[in-house]
Formats: sequence, structure tokens, C-alpha cells
Amino acid sequence: MEYTVIPISVNDKGHIKQVETFLHKEGILRDTHIDYTCGIYDEQDNLIATGSAFGNTLRCLAVSELYQGEGLMGQIMSHLMEYQALHGQTHIFLYTKPKMSALLQSMGFYTISMVEQKLVFMENRRCGFENFCKDLKSKMPNEKNVAAIVMNANPFTYGHLHLVEQAAKENDAVHLFVLSENYGPIPFNVRYQLVKEATANISNVYVHPSGPYMISTATFPSYFLKDKKNTIITQARLDVDIFCKISQILNIQKRYVGEEPFSTVTAMYNNVMAQMLPKFGIDFVIIPRKKYEEHQISASAVRLAIHNDKLNDIKSLVPPTTYEFFAGSQGIQICERLKRMTPNNIIHY
Amino acid sequence: MEINHIAVAGTLESSDAMVTIEPGYGNIELELSSSVMNQYGRQIKETILQTLSRLNVHSAKVTVVDKGALDCTLKARVECAVYRSCDMSNENLPWGGIIQ
Repeated sequence: MEYTVIPISVNDKGHIKQVETFLHKEGILRDTHIDYTCGIYDEQDNLIATGSAFGNTLRCLAVSELYQGEGLMGQIMSHLMEYQALHGQTHIFLYTKPKMSALLQSMGFYTISMVEQKLVFMENRRCGFENFCKDLKSKMPNEKNVAAIVMNANPFTYGHLHLVEQAAKENDAVHLFVLSENYGPIPFNVRYQLVKEATANISNVYVHPSGPYMISTATFPSYFLKDKKNTIITQARLDVDIFCKISQILNIQKRYVGEEPFSTVTAMYNNVMAQMLPKFGIDFVIIPRKKYEEHQISASAVRLAIHNDKLNDIKSLVPPTTYEFFAGSQGIQICERLKRMTPNNIIHY
Repeated sequence: MEINHIAVAGTLESSDAMVTIEPGYGNIELELSSSVMNQYGRQIKETILQTLSRLNVHSAKVTVVDKGALDCTLKARVECAVYRSCDMSNENLPWGGIIQ
């Protein structure tokens, strides 16, 4: 019997429902955010295998119990890899169950991390993760007390600066990772530049792009897009697990975060870190938010002020470098973009 | 031949191979994984590199996931990926020329 892989449109409610039921039977929850889904059907139009893609990741991969060993996963994977290549993606990540990992390994995927015997995170580069760490290590000085901060800096505020200064005071070296994902209205290169400018005079702070292995749409998609609580926690665990691996190689002993009274997802992420990091021998340090006249400073508030066309209000919340950027000619476009957005989308959920 | 953009040829099914080719940095960077690596790894590598050099490809990043493909299959998949990567697969392919 020959089977063909068929694309399933996200708008095709009937067939998507079928995918959901099928995945449920295989013990997989269908992800909320998906770009593309495909499947294989038998003669009676029953779904017998499926797989989905989102960004540079593959997920929701399953073959019916009754059809194992017939090479259907190979067909699904070939189809999805071709889809990814067509969209210019070659460095691919995937999530799967531990029992599937051996099969996917035979298709050129390598395990990066496993969370609680439940979820395996893989990539299609043999030394992808290893090279990422090696590359970072080569840019780092050999210091004794090393701390890390991972931030979106969307955009960089006095709150961020306070956090960085505190960490810089208490450690020999601080590695500051700026999220490289281009998701919101302020693109990565702007956020990165503003962090670099504002921290240029602190000599023991090293700024790096966070790359694909720290809070990226591959490791932690629900950081960027609304999702269910359980999904957020699982993804946060995966992200923290990978961070611990990176820390071991780079000799990072502390992670600094700002206290999080506003965003649900960041607060949950901080909780997961508080539980997991000490187990790996990494100190988890929460710095209370910096206040300005009773108000806690947050990047969301800065974006909201720009949205409301009150650029002057941000002067007291951000370093001069950030203010000048948004007041200057380069910032106009981004200000316009923020003004057009709805307030709900401006505030991190 | 110059690799202009990413291209894929082949499948991950048994007895086939999936070849992904991307623009390189002045050399051939080959990442090979194979279900018969221990038995035929060296020969598979040789076939891939020979085919690339016959097609005058000297700068590319090549990823091959081999599922036990025969040499002729490997050659065909590499050739196809290369021609797709420079948008030549719709034109008159040089059968009997550099495609042997």
C-alpha cells in the first residue's frame, strides 16, 4: 500500500479536529500555534500519521499504533523538511516524546535536552548546540565569579540598567544575553544596540545575542505568543534546562532577574527558575524593581507611553541613549508602529 | 557551479537519502548521518564529494541524511539538489555532460 502525505489547511475545521483527536489518542496535546500541518490517511479516510511545523520547529509528530514500522514517519518528516527548506529554514528544531527520539535520530536529528522523561528537544545539526557554546566561550574572559542575565530589553530602561549594575557590582563578569528573536515592534538590532550603548561604560559586562537556544521561538514559543499554563511551564522547564547546560560550559554561577509584578508568563518563568537553578548549583538572584516616583519602571510602560504619543514621559524611565533613539529620526518608524498597535498587544501578557 | 539558495532533494524513506544544500563559505562543509555509517560511511562520503566536484561545486554547506541509499541514488539526489539550488532544474539539464 502506498500512502501520500497531504497538507491539512488550518481553516479546515473538520480535518483539524480529526488531527486533534488523533494526537490526543497518542498522548499529545495539539499546539495552539502552528503554521502548517500535514497528514497521511488510509483508504477509509482515517488519519494514520501527522506532523506540524511552526517557525523553524517541527511538532505534533505521531504515527498510529497500528501503522508503526511502515516508514510513515519518514514520509511525514521528508514532507516537513521540504516545507521548511522552501521557507528558507535549514536549522530545524523539534519536540517529541522520548520513545520517538531514536527514530528521529535516524533521520538526522540530535538530542539537545530532555524534560522529565516527557519531552525531547532535538535539532538537525550534529554540533549545533556544542558549537554555539564553544563560540560563546571563545568570546568570554576566564573569570571566577560569573553571572548571567537574559533580557528582552524591549526597550532598555533604567530598570534594566539597575539590574545590570547590581550584577556587575557583585561579580567579576556579567554576561548579558539579549533575546535575538524578532517578535515585537522593536527589532532585535535596535534592542541590542540600545543595550550596548547604555552598558558601554560598565567594563565587566559582556553583551551577546541570545541565539536560538535561550528564550527563542524554538525553546520557549509561549513567551512570545499567548498559551495555556501547562504549556508555558513545560517550555520554561525546557528553556531553563538548556540554560543550565550552557551555564556548566561557560562556568556561570548566578542568574539575575528583575522581580516581576506585571507579566504572567515572566513570573511563571521566574518561578520555574527558582525551583530548577539551585538544583544545578546556580544561584538565582531576584532584584526588586527600580521605582520612579512610586511607579515601578517597566518596558511595557515605556512602550505604552510611546503608544499614547507621550514621548516626554519616558525620559525619566529610560537612559538618555534609549530616549534619544526614539526621539531621533531612526526611532520614528518604530514609534509609528507602536502607535498603531492595540494596547493589549503592547503589554507582555 | 554556484549555490544560490537552499535546496533539498530526496526523502527520509528507507533506501533513499535527503540532501540539503546551502551556500557555503569557500569550502565544502559536509554533515553526513547514515543508517549504515559503520559499513559504508567512507564510500558514501566519497560519492558525495566526487559528485560535487564533478558539478564544479566548491563552496557549499551540504547535509546528507542517508537511509541506506545506493550510490546511484546518492549521486542523483546530490545532482538534483545542486541544480535546484541554482534554479536550473527546469532548464535543459546537461544529461551525459556533467550529469553522468
